Formats: sequence, C-alpha cells, structure tokens
Amino acid sequence: MFKELDPILHSQLRLAVMSLLIGVKEAEFTFIKDKTNATAGNLSVQIQKLKDVGYVEVSKQFVNNYPQTTCKITPVGIAAFEAYVKALQEYLVPKN
Amino acid sequence: MMNEETPMNEQESLRLITDMIAKAKASHFHEDGTSAILWGSVVGFCGLVHFAEQYFNFSIGFDVWLLTLAALIPQVFISIKESRNRVVRTDMQMAMNAVWTVYGISVFAMIAYINIIPHSSATLFAESGISLFQKNANGVVEPFRAFALSGSSLLMILYAFPTLVTGLARRFKPMIYGAIACYVFFFISLYTAAMYDNLLAGLAGIGNWLIPGLILRNRYKKGKSC
Repeated sequence: MFKELDPILHSQLRLAVMSLLIGVKEAEFTFIKDKTNATAGNLSVQIQKLKDVGYVEVSKQFVNNYPQTTCKITPVGIAAFEAYVKALQEYLVPKN
Repeated sequence: MMNEETPMNEQESLRLITDMIAKAKASHFHEDGTSAILWGSVVGFCGLVHFAEQYFNFSIGFDVWLLTLAALIPQVFISIKESRNRVVRTDMQMAMNAVWTVYGISVFAMIAYINIIPHSSATLFAESGISLFQKNANGVVEPFRAFALSGSSLLMILYAFPTLVTGLARRFKPMIYGAIACYVFFFISLYTAAMYDNLLAGLAGIGNWLIPGLILRNRYKKGKSC
C-alpha cells in the first residue's frame, strides 16, 4: 500500500522551498525568491505555512536599516522531507 | 512562475527536488577570490622585496613585512562586503570560514612567538646567570643574543587549531573555550622556562581535549539512553 504524500510538502512552491533549504544551513528570503521565481507575497504565505507546521524557522532582523528575513530548515522539516522522498520512491519503484 | 495550486505527479515532484537542490548547490561558490588575490599579492611582494634587500644589500628604509598589517584594512572591508552579499550559508562555508579564521589567529600567534621569544630567552638566561658571547671574524668579542626554541609553545598553536576549527564549525562551545584557554597558555608559555611550558602544555591538553571529550561522552551516553 502506498503511503500518502505529505500535503504540506506536495505543493510546487513549498516543495521547492524545502528542496532549496535541505542543502544549505540557512538562506535569505531574496535568495529563495530568486531561485523559485515566485512572487514575494505568495512566497511569504507558503513559508508561513511551512513555519506553522514547524518545518522551517524564520528569523527577521535589520541589516543596514533594511529588513532581512532568513529561513532555515528544522530537524522536523528534515524528517518530513526525508519521509516525503521515501514515499515518492515507493510510488516510482513499487515494492513487489 | 511557481504556484502552490499547480498539481504535480510523483515524477514532477522528484524533478523539482533535483532542480532546486542543483540550484542551491550552484549558488555555494560565489566568492570572487578578492581576499586570496590581496594576500597572495602582498605576501608575494613582501617576500620578493625582502629577498632583494638581502641579496643586493640595500634597504627600502622600513620593514616591508609591515605591509601585511596595512593589508588588514582592505581585508576588513572585503569581509564586510562579502558578508553583506551572502544570501545563503552552508555548513561547508561555515567550516571554511572557521579554518581561515583560525589560520589568521595562528599566524598572529606565530608572529608573537617570533617577536617575544628572543626577549624572554635573554631574560631567562640572565636570571640563570648565563651570558653568551660571540667572537667575530675581526676578533672582536661581543654579547650573543641566543634564544631557546620553545617547542611546547609552538605545539600549543597546533593543539588549538583543530579544536577551534571544530568548535566554530560545529558551534560547540566547550571546544571554543578549550582552544581559547590553549591560546592563553601559549602566550603565558612565551615568558616561562621550559619546565613550566610542559605544565602549560599539559593544562592545554586537558582544556583542549579532555574536558570537551568528557562533555561529548556525557552527551553521547545521554543520547544513547534516550
């Protein structure tokens, strides 16, 4: 029987954000926006959803009078991402 | 443009993950080599000029190696600029930063060693009633400024290197404090006799490795029992 894919991660933009963050220690909002080619508003909403379920940590600070938002994947997020990839593998290579 | 509403099948999900990981990876290497060019030029220039001064027997009127101190000023601005432009941080970058930071501290410690040891040696020899003289080729006898190699002091710089790199890269405070203690012992050892250098080296080993090691063991045991 196939595992159900995590609905939080099974969304194009949220999965893209998590995939970016999985390989780095932390990334600025502008970096994620640039790489995902998403609008700032949409990206903010999706990051907030990831934050609400504890998959990412968001820290905001002022650098040279400009607001800087930094995102970081949490251990819960890493576990969820790994489980999602594992579930995907089962879909693609079903066990006999 | 990405949209959270766009439905994806499994293959598309996997492709998206692969693409994004590749994009993040490609962004890791953004350093433009400015620092390496700066230090390569300065140290190269200083070495060649110093060699020329000795080989051709002339003087430019000041110690050319002082230029390395002047190069610290642009380095500070380069570091600030690079830090501002950095939009993504990786564990690898953190580790590399730690290596180069500790390398800088080690160079500073070596310069302190080279400058302090001859004076300390002269004081220690004088306290022991040892006076050394040299007879020049023209037969004139004059005081000889010998210095004792403080091997333990040099080793303490090496002791602290991996500990501080690991502590900074892993943000493990006991190792950071242990390495700082090691540098403190190093500076004290520059002024003490060889017997006390060994004592300080022993204390450095305890602070540098034994205490962080015991803390790690304790955490490991706790983690295992959970």
